[in-house]
Amino acid sequence: MRYSKIISWPLFSLLIFCLLASISWAVVLNDSNLGAFFSGSTVTEVVDNFRQIYYSYISSQSTPAFLSYESWYNALFLSFRTLLVSILAIGLAGLVALITFASGARNLAMEGKSPLKKPFASLVFYLLRVLYTVTRSVPELIWAMLIVFTMQAGIVAGALALAIHNFGILGRLCSEVVENMDQRSIRSLRSSGASSGQIILYGVFPEVLPQLLTYILYRWEVVIRTTVVVGFIAAEGLGRQFRLSMSWFHYDEVIVLLTCYVALVLIVDAVSGCLRKMAS
Amino acid sequence: MVVSGRSRVAIILATAFLASVYIADWNRAIPRSSGFSGINEILRGFLQPDFSQDFLIVAIKATWTTITFGTSAIFLALVIAIPLSFVASGTLFRSAVARMASITLVRFLLALIRSIHELIWAWLLAVLFGFSPITGVLALAIPYSAILARVFSDFLNDVPNAPLRALRSSGASNVQTLLYGRIPMVYKDMLSYGFYRFECCLRSAAVLSFIGLQGIGYQIEVSMQDLYFGQVWVLIYFLIFLIVSVDWWGSKLRRSLAN
Repeated sequence: MRYSKIISWPLFSLLIFCLLASISWAVVLNDSNLGAFFSGSTVTEVVDNFRQIYYSYISSQSTPAFLSYESWYNALFLSFRTLLVSILAIGLAGLVALITFASGARNLAMEGKSPLKKPFASLVFYLLRVLYTVTRSVPELIWAMLIVFTMQAGIVAGALALAIHNFGILGRLCSEVVENMDQRSIRSLRSSGASSGQIILYGVFPEVLPQLLTYILYRWEVVIRTTVVVGFIAAEGLGRQFRLSMSWFHYDEVIVLLTCYVALVLIVDAVSGCLRKMAS
Repeated sequence: MVVSGRSRVAIILATAFLASVYIADWNRAIPRSSGFSGINEILRGFLQPDFSQDFLIVAIKATWTTITFGTSAIFLALVIAIPLSFVASGTLFRSAVARMASITLVRFLLALIRSIHELIWAWLLAVLFGFSPITGVLALAIPYSAILARVFSDFLNDVPNAPLRALRSSGASNVQTLLYGRIPMVYKDMLSYGFYRFECCLRSAAVLSFIGLQGIGYQIEVSMQDLYFGQVWVLIYFLIFLIVSVDWWGSKLRRSLAN
């Protein structure tokens, strides 16, 4: 350890982080119009906003959305479509990660245990690792922007954007499971004459598949939250309606949509927790 | 035939996925009328990234803005989350009733807060407080503090019991047990998880353009509206570089904490 003489790396990291955080706060506070924020004008604006929303309902005579049966029915239908997108997305991501993770593991690719031939195997390994990094580093929303530029907006476009990002995460996690797993089972299969395909089938898969299931369920919880935001851009499900209601200042509809959204997320969390318990 | 729980879960997931494939409207999954030229543009931008000096300055500024948003948000989230996790873990209370009440209530609140995505928070806060950087930072900090508090409180609860009992039997109060028993056992986990969340927070900060704030996402949107895909790719490279370097920093930190 080079740093341990003067200062340990964790302490050094913490110091750098705190320095960065204080500079960042200075920049953010400098750029925000704090005078208005603290002078109380924001508070009166907020109160005004709420008062306007309230009076617009008093005067409009129409029943607010959260009292009408129809708007709840509509929101439930949209929630169902949002759920659909999330399942499609995480399924696609999991499927492609399942196909690729063995070629993306360093120990399999570099020691000739991959079903691919030697120079080809390392080429595929580096390509996949770069692909995992690129897809993982770019958030879903930016993928959605790029996809909607070339494709009709809808369920599939939204699911694709979510799937690309999560593919990177799942692929990387599974490859790391292979790299960190007990290498003795691979070695013993190898020494008893198993082919590389058999090693992956009998040595690697039994180790990784349970992990992949757990990761898929964990990521599904994240995906369901993000689906709404991707829906803003991919024009589907709750997100689209949320955006429309927000821009028309129909805050009663926003309340209905938010309630459905939170309920959907909590249900998905519960289901995922149940399934994880069942799988363990 | 005995089906293990694990394969049952796998079957349920596969069925759900196949059902969603069946229901999805694939007839809409077609390129736009301009789609192929769109793909063409994106690929051409990939092959000819715009590394001109003027644009590099724009990209560096955007990256710096994203770093400031992400860092200040995660810092605020940590400041909120650490005391909150003490409450949510219920270790501060002596009586079982108070402990159960605080655990259930606070955890339910945390679940509610983190069930809303940061960009929805951003939009809601922007309606109330206007579209300023502090709104974006608050919007990121709220759900992140809920996530961090939840995970930290799990860490605090999952420590081995024997050292705590030793402390308690020598007359330590609950606060002292927390300070000298639980926290020393979990601060490494907290540090490395916090760092992982830092990476996530930077990624979220990059798309605060959602409510019109500056940063990498904002510049990507601008360049995309002008169809300058060479610039879009340069910005994506900057984002990837940022995330990869924080990831590298974090993994180095985890390694040095482990030994």
